[in-house]
Amino acid sequence: MAIKDSGFKKKSGSDSTIPTSSMADIAFLLLIFFMVTTVFRKERNRDIEWTSAEATEKIDEKRKNILHIWIQRDGSVWINDVLTPFEEISEVVRPIYAENREIVIAIRGDSEVPYMQINTITEELQAAGAVRVTFATRLEQRAMRARR
Amino acid sequence: MAIMKRKQKVSDEIPTSSMADIAFLLLVFFLTTTVFNEERGLPIVLPEQSEEVDVSGRNLIFFIVQPDGRVIVRRGESEQEQMVAHTQVANILRTELEGNANLIAAIQTHPEAAYRHMVNVLDEVKLSGAERISLQELEN
Repeated sequence: MAIKDSGFKKKSGSDSTIPTSSMADIAFLLLIFFMVTTVFRKERNRDIEWTSAEATEKIDEKRKNILHIWIQRDGSVWINDVLTPFEEISEVVRPIYAENREIVIAIRGDSEVPYMQINTITEELQAAGAVRVTFATRLEQRAMRARR
Repeated sequence: MAIMKRKQKVSDEIPTSSMADIAFLLLVFFLTTTVFNEERGLPIVLPEQSEEVDVSGRNLIFFIVQPDGRVIVRRGESEQEQMVAHTQVANILRTELEGNANLIAAIQTHPEAAYRHMVNVLDEVKLSGAERISLQELEN
């Protein structure tokens, strides 16, 4: 305060601006990182009418640990984009389960499929030893439920 | 000749000051357009194939899902049956669980009943907080 205008003021040695020249490099690095780590799902979505449930939970499992079994209204079963007859489901699932014991089977069935077919699938899964199963549903809101 | 040569006014360098803006724009664009499809559903663990457990009738409550979506409730050994709408299942099971925490909810679905009827009942059973659930196909 007393020194303020005393003539001893030193010239500041460091630059007071943020270096922006490396900003582009940082941004591109982030961009490339996200591009490389993004995994696109190969499987095609099948046309089904989803069932909804209020108790729907989020399945906390890595995507590679989830196997989808699609059952369309006409009774066709798709596993990894392959049309699979009912009696061969256990044969298809068994090697997948042997390779990855953590696997969770997500059954994505059309809402109008007769239960008989779902039961056949669960029996096939039991035969393959894959017992962790999820009935894939959409979250249902209470308001919608009252209307039903 | 030397006199004619003019000093060039246009800079021959590529402007790099806007590069960061472009890169961040791309970054934000991809961040916002990426959709993560989460896995959602009703998890259940199926019994092992060899596993067969004898359960006393007192610990069982049957929910028999009819093809039209209605539910027949039968408690353990008693022959009494009660026809209810699926929305009532959670309340019935909650009351029963208060009396017996070991109760197993057995969902027996008619083979011709639509999958969504079974999911509706399973949903109700899950909502009631039941831990022990059994899925069966109705045998005639």
